Amino acid sequence: MKARLARATQLFDTHQFEICKRTDQMFAVLMGLQWVGGIVAAYLISPRAWIGITSRTHLHVWAAIFLGSAISALPIILAITQPGKPTTRHTIGIAQMLMGALLIHVTGGRIETHFHVFGSLAFLSFYRDWRVLVPATIVVAADHFLRGVFWPQSVYGVITASEWRWLEHTGWVLFEDTFLLIAIKRSVVEMWGIADRTAEVESLNQGLEDRVEQRTHQLAAANQNLQTEVLDRKAAEAELAKQRSFLRQVIDLNPNFIFAKDRDGRFTLVNQALADAFGTSVADLLGKTDNDLTPQTEEIDHFRNDDLEVFNTLREKFIPEETITNQQGEVLWLQTVKRPILSDDGTATQILGIATDITARKKTEEALSRSEEQLRQAQKMEAVGKLAGGVAHDFNNLLTAIIGHSEMCLRRLTHEDALYSHVEQIQKAGDRAAGLTRQLLAFSRKQILQPKVIDLNSIVGDLSLMLQRLIGEDIDLMMRLAPNVGKVKADPNQVEQVLMNLAVNARDAMPNGGKLTIETSNVYLSDEFAGDHVTVASGHYVMLAVSDSGVGMDAATKARIFEPFFTTKEVGKGTGLGLSTVYGIVKQSGGSIWVYSELGSGTTFKIYLPLVADQVEQVETRRQAILKGEGTILLVEDEDVVREMVAETLKDCGYMVLIAGNGPAALDLSDEFSGEIKLMLTDVVMPQMSGRQLTEKLSPKRPSMKVLYMSGYTDDAIVHHGVLEEGTAFIGKPFSPDALVLKIGELLGASQMA
Amino acid sequence: MPLNYSLTTTLKSRLVSDSDKPRWLGRAVICVVALVWFGLVGIGFSYLWNYENTPGIAAVAPRRWPAESHIQPARDRATLIMLAHPKCPCTRASIGELAAIMAHCQGRLNAYVLFMKPEGFTENWEKTDLWQSASQIPDVQVISDPSGEEARRFSAVTSGQTLLYDLKGELLFSGGITPSRGHSGDNAGKSAIVSIINREIPDTNVTNVFGCPLFDPNSECRVARK
Repeated sequence: MKARLARATQLFDTHQFEICKRTDQMFAVLMGLQWVGGIVAAYLISPRAWIGITSRTHLHVWAAIFLGSAISALPIILAITQPGKPTTRHTIGIAQMLMGALLIHVTGGRIETHFHVFGSLAFLSFYRDWRVLVPATIVVAADHFLRGVFWPQSVYGVITASEWRWLEHTGWVLFEDTFLLIAIKRSVVEMWGIADRTAEVESLNQGLEDRVEQRTHQLAAANQNLQTEVLDRKAAEAELAKQRSFLRQVIDLNPNFIFAKDRDGRFTLVNQALADAFGTSVADLLGKTDNDLTPQTEEIDHFRNDDLEVFNTLREKFIPEETITNQQGEVLWLQTVKRPILSDDGTATQILGIATDITARKKTEEALSRSEEQLRQAQKMEAVGKLAGGVAHDFNNLLTAIIGHSEMCLRRLTHEDALYSHVEQIQKAGDRAAGLTRQLLAFSRKQILQPKVIDLNSIVGDLSLMLQRLIGEDIDLMMRLAPNVGKVKADPNQVEQVLMNLAVNARDAMPNGGKLTIETSNVYLSDEFAGDHVTVASGHYVMLAVSDSGVGMDAATKARIFEPFFTTKEVGKGTGLGLSTVYGIVKQSGGSIWVYSELGSGTTFKIYLPLVADQVEQVETRRQAILKGEGTILLVEDEDVVREMVAETLKDCGYMVLIAGNGPAALDLSDEFSGEIKLMLTDVVMPQMSGRQLTEKLSPKRPSMKVLYMSGYTDDAIVHHGVLEEGTAFIGKPFSPDALVLKIGELLGASQMA
Repeated sequence: MPLNYSLTTTLKSRLVSDSDKPRWLGRAVICVVALVWFGLVGIGFSYLWNYENTPGIAAVAPRRWPAESHIQPARDRATLIMLAHPKCPCTRASIGELAAIMAHCQGRLNAYVLFMKPEGFTENWEKTDLWQSASQIPDVQVISDPSGEEARRFSAVTSGQTLLYDLKGELLFSGGITPSRGHSGDNAGKSAIVSIINREIPDTNVTNVFGCPLFDPNSECRVARK
């Protein structure tokens, strides 16, 4: 309360000070104006004082100027420099009364001018300070008192007036003062009321401001907390978004198909791998079903059944293999596991599926299976070949003796001899057996090849007439030979044999006629092809394809087509060695052969021979000449029957024959024989010492001696994988005496010629 | 402690007196300024009051209406004659008082106001606002007094000189009808004339005349008070 009273007092004082200040300023202006007004009035009313016909400025004018300025100057200065101070307003009150007196004088004592005094008092009441009226009233009273004493007529109009007359005039002033004091008192009371109310309002406002400030602090604190919470929430959201992004990346970077479905089968989650596999986006897949992924209703039903099973059993379901066909018809193999996503009430609202794309693995497995089959087939063929080769080797020795002896018998018998026809049958049977043995050797890749760089187109072209005759008129022979087909290195005779065997096989497959197509082209076998075909290396090849429009074959037949003695032909029509021979020749030539056939759609054999960059070599024609020999030949053969037959043959031809049963014996015999040995005819494979080793030991001693190897087995030191070393003379078993003599004649003759 | 206390007290008192010194000085300055101001204003007002209350030279008016005057007094009432300087500002108060007198003595008083016109001055020189004011007063005749001939006949030398003659031409009153120079308001001259007309005994029949000199160029409108 005291504070409020003090504040009200302060406000009142401030208000009154401001009022006094404004009133001072008002009077400063008013006094300036009334000073000017006094001068103007003096000039208008009594500008000049006359003396007869002369005049001068009237004293009133000077009084208005100087006395007026003297009266006005001090209060104006105080009002400007010290507004609001009591001294200022008291000075103004006095000056205002003095100015009124001056104006009354200047205006000739007009009764109207006296109202200036009353008006001034009213103006002074603007100060709302009753004290200011006191000096003003005193000045008026003093003025009348003094003039009444000294110039009573000028004041009262009579020469002798009462000494208390001045009180009458003063009384009127006091009369006005009374009203002004009442008005001032009321104003002061009102000002006090205003100050008190203002103080009260301020007090209330202060309380309100305190509450507002307190509330503001509370709000600021709450806002701070809220901002902190917002920041925490933003940080949490950012962390959540980061984790969500991380999880999304984990899901999307997972190569497996990850998905979630609701009970209606709609996808609620899919990862990028799944979207990529089906050529769409994650956003597009959401809300879709399996119907949008695959057109296969069976697959859709399968998926749906699995989903419902998981939903109903609430158990994981593992599907080892399943397929899904996309809209482009591509089949994907999947290994899928589906699990229920349980809600709080233990029911499953969604299922989570993770499917691994095992298509590549399936393809690899299939390829591996094929490769294994091919390998197994190749191994089987290799085993059979070894078996056949081994048999053929022994057969060759036997057949050499049979054919040789039967030929020698025939030489000594005449056609009229009873035994001639029998021996001839023996020889023919031996020849057929030799043919079969050669085919077995060919299949087992144990025959002797003399590869040359050849042009397949040229071989096929030269053979076309023979092939046409071979297949008959009912079958059309079509040639599709690439014009710039590359060169290959192979035995031309064996290539011809391959073509003829395939042509015969095709002819037999087209009993009612058809079309036989022989095709050559340059091909590049890729790594992928090589991966799918065992024993094939990637690279450039020349393809020789023989296709027929025959009956074709089933898979079982196709699997055994190259096996020796396997035939689908009637008994007696085929040996079962034709395609085996083809297989052996191709393999021995470094190539590969593949058969493509569908039952009823014909068959195609494709032979791939490695492309070589060398020039084509001229194929030598055999010289057919019978030579009569002379000189000494060292015969080394561990097989008695062969050794005897050869020795007899050579002797018959005029050669002197030194006979040894093995390598050491041959060395001894050579050492013992001092004459020239023109040629050593030696078996290759012998116990104790091979023909090659014998040659190496004997050649330094007899450098002019020729060496002719004979063997029924090719995989030895002389013939590497069926290929004869350059400059090595060789004759394969079985051979006829004529062939042997011819070969020896060639060697010695050539030597002689050289 | 006592020493410290004494020192502190001394310092405080010195500080207090130092702080009061400007206030005291200010009051002293205010007092001096107020005294100077009151002095200047008092001197000014004293001079002014002295000027206003110093009468002009009163006329020694003829006891009887001058026969040589061209103006004839009224035969049925008293005649008032005022001699005035047409440009004297002090006479404005006299004209105003004359109007009051004529109002009080309505129909019982005949009045003339003679405005002196010096010789050689332009025509209507004398017809100033005072002429117009006087002309508007009932029962007042305004007459030009060339060269102040009539003023001289009535021995008037101060503007505002007022003379009152009865029916027989006998002088009843002589003097001014303003309380001071150029100042209107109740005055002894006006009261005397009104009393005479009302057949009452006036307090006086001679008053001071406040106005500008009519003729004497070497003299002021007033006479230094002795």
